[in-house]
Amino acid sequence: MKLQDVDVAVIGAGPAGMAAAIKAREAGAEKVILMERAEELGGLLHQCVHNGFGLLYFNEDLSGPEYGHRFIEKVMDTGVTPLLETMVVRLGQDRQIGAVNTREGFITFRPKSIVLAMGCRERSRGALNIPGTRPAGVLTAGTAQRFVNVEGFVPGKKIVILGSGDIGMIMARRLTLEGAQVEAVVEILPYIGGLIRNEVQCLHDFEIPLFLEHTVTRIHGEQRLEAVTIARVDGQRNPVAGTQRVIACDSLLLSVGLIPENELSLMAGIQLDPVTGGALVDETRQTTVPGVFAGGNVLHVHDLVDNVSWESELAGESAARFAAAGKPEARGEIKVKAGRNIRYVVPQTISGRKDTTLYMRVSEPEETVRIKVGNITTKGMRAVKPSEMLKIELSADKLEKLKEGTQEIIVDCEKRGGK
Amino acid sequence: MSQVETEVLIIGGGIGGAAIARELSKYKVDATLVEKGVDVGQGITKYSSTIMCQGANVLEFRSEYHNSRLVWAGMSLMEPLCRELDVPFKRIGSLELVKDQAGMRHPEKMMRRFSNWHGKYLPADIEPLQFIDRETLRRWEPNVDKKYIGAVNDPNIAVNDPVRLTIALADNARKNGIKILLETEVLDISAGTDEFKVQTNNGSITCRYIINAAGEYVGKIAQMADADDFVLYPVKSYQAVLDKKVGGLINRMVLATGSGMVTPTIHGNLFFGISPGSQRLGKAHDHSTDKKLADAALRHAQELVPAISARDIINAFVGFIVFRNFEIGWHECTVGVSRWVPRFINASIGFPGICAAPAVAKEMIEILTQQGLRLEENSQFNPYQKAMPDFSDLSDEEKKKLIAQDPRYGHVVCRCETVTEGEIVEAIKRGARTLDGIKFRCRPGMGRCQGGFCGPRITKILARELGIPEEEVTKKGGESRNLLYKSKELLEAQQ
Repeated sequence: MKLQDVDVAVIGAGPAGMAAAIKAREAGAEKVILMERAEELGGLLHQCVHNGFGLLYFNEDLSGPEYGHRFIEKVMDTGVTPLLETMVVRLGQDRQIGAVNTREGFITFRPKSIVLAMGCRERSRGALNIPGTRPAGVLTAGTAQRFVNVEGFVPGKKIVILGSGDIGMIMARRLTLEGAQVEAVVEILPYIGGLIRNEVQCLHDFEIPLFLEHTVTRIHGEQRLEAVTIARVDGQRNPVAGTQRVIACDSLLLSVGLIPENELSLMAGIQLDPVTGGALVDETRQTTVPGVFAGGNVLHVHDLVDNVSWESELAGESAARFAAAGKPEARGEIKVKAGRNIRYVVPQTISGRKDTTLYMRVSEPEETVRIKVGNITTKGMRAVKPSEMLKIELSADKLEKLKEGTQEIIVDCEKRGGK
Repeated sequence: MSQVETEVLIIGGGIGGAAIARELSKYKVDATLVEKGVDVGQGITKYSSTIMCQGANVLEFRSEYHNSRLVWAGMSLMEPLCRELDVPFKRIGSLELVKDQAGMRHPEKMMRRFSNWHGKYLPADIEPLQFIDRETLRRWEPNVDKKYIGAVNDPNIAVNDPVRLTIALADNARKNGIKILLETEVLDISAGTDEFKVQTNNGSITCRYIINAAGEYVGKIAQMADADDFVLYPVKSYQAVLDKKVGGLINRMVLATGSGMVTPTIHGNLFFGISPGSQRLGKAHDHSTDKKLADAALRHAQELVPAISARDIINAFVGFIVFRNFEIGWHECTVGVSRWVPRFINASIGFPGICAAPAVAKEMIEILTQQGLRLEENSQFNPYQKAMPDFSDLSDEEKKKLIAQDPRYGHVVCRCETVTEGEIVEAIKRGARTLDGIKFRCRPGMGRCQGGFCGPRITKILARELGIPEEEVTKKGGESRNLLYKSKELLEAQQ
């Protein structure tokens, strides 16, 4: 394929990129290329050998590789052109892509539209600034997951996990099954960072000690990790004197948050949402740069891959439409703002004229609440938690309630019931 | 156990030892450098700030100190040295910020000293200082805190990568005939009348001259030979590296009396640290960071540049500044023959050691000559060498050319710093044996994800190139293996 004729270029071939590329083809884009730096399609799904994928999308309980495989087949069937082992190193404001690989060398081209699907990365030790020495044996949970599930190594046999994100809890179970001893999962907040089902199936079922409102205050060991000090924290998340205890361990896994990978987006001059770390988008998932769309974890960190696929399909479809029309549709201008106990809402703007799903997260766990989207709709919820993303569907007829000239809609999480 | 005989033994492969080795390689001499680590530049050199060349801050130095003279001499030597060795060197300049009228006294004194000392103590090629007013400061550095009323502009300050320079010095010394023995730790020294017998973990070394450039262990090595006619006080410093995305917040190094400093690095990151002015004594050899120091450093940095956020820190570490006369608030280097043991030369460079290193090396030649070593010029000496390719720094055309020559340069392994397999293989060819060895030569894992993505891939490449199993790959040699077990190994052990 001549790169000069590309309609839609998708950057990243994880679950988001694959879904976007497939949908772009299905929506009529002729030449769709799927650019991936790794040697195969599928992204991180390959290392997620646990189950729980596809419960919503396929109505089946699949492993990560199984879920990925279904999309890989569809990528092939729909005639998407994968461009593997190709790293995009530059993205211009005019949609000019610069990439390198071992076959063509350094390539530049300008597709009609682009979908950003670069996913996210894990926060590292540096970002946490954990005091102590700098030995081997401190790694992120995702890196450990790759070593164990793809490369065939176990980092150590006495493990402490800082943070209770999903990958951390899943690795607690995985390493236990590999014969390692998980001494503790340490979480600074009063509640876990991941899904309830992972707390139950990965920690409780394997009797792994969970320390809520605790953190690692020191790393010990010169060459290889020898121990960590943990301590209880107060309401301001500061360690409480006298509560320190030293846990001997050879590995510390960090599962302390994911950051959307938006270095290319910044290069292209795309505006980011300081809360999500992803691009500001309208309901078509178009960023602030015309013709550049985004979906999946590069936009905001999801907890379920099913939602990543759906959201990215939307971005892929919009990119195909843009490539065909050659000009942007009227951009949604109504701002959707996070109100009471809402941390963020994606998309950040809507047109108010078509069916839209709002994705959001709350700031704090709360029970018996109602999510209120301006005067358009409300949805009662028994309990909400920051770790579980909420979805509110706004149909076009509900949106008709919007008054002419509405400039913003505020989404609140309100307490329900008088008692 | 091996037996090595050498005329001159240099102990320590930091910036000091490497600079001395390279200087000695200009002469026909049988010299050996021993380093206990798996690589050079991994002691206090690694923990030093990125400032390579000093400027106005040397005006604080007292002219009667030996250290001052070495630092001043080093100011002129550093740039040509970097050019010979193809190590980047960038004069970014610095601004010493002034908060109020009372704060003007110090810069005024500096400017006076500058005119008095220029051409006398200070090299003639040093650029003059100049005071800039509030408006110019705003225009030059819009992200510097608005409270400052002006600054002393010093165009002389330069940044570089001290570890890269150390590696380049050692490589060049080796090419010009100096033997370098890594993972060789000195355990004991006995001084005979004519020669020293040095016990190491790798056998014994007989030598006539010893240059003790063991960095933070200089006292320990001197003690072994009863040559410790000095007392050193380690002072802890804290430094943090920030994401490249905030690397452009400032263009020059900025500092203020009583605060730390913030500077762009040669690689485009931002870097801040508490200057030794804060004078916190630490326990020797304890390179652990602590929260109090980290918080204080961040507060100081935010005083200067309020937009600095803890969120953008990607790495932090602790260095040592070795003070000799801590009790009088001043520091001196220890460069010279021990008063008690002839031919045993201590080379503990003072602060700032990086800048002084080339001058210490030159002085070492004089000291050795005075001690009776006959040095004849090495006519074969080649001062030049070429740095390995830096893919991310090349133009599009150069990138194309390089990939056409070697397709491995088209395989990006580290996404944050855009480092290719070609560079990693070249780094291994040039002597990298560990993950850190690769990191300090071509930067994979130095970016915002700190090796989360490229770690497993580099482990694989390193194992392949060295012909060792992946679980034997270490972070920094010794017991620092990254992967302790193979899959199922723990389960089999339990059965």
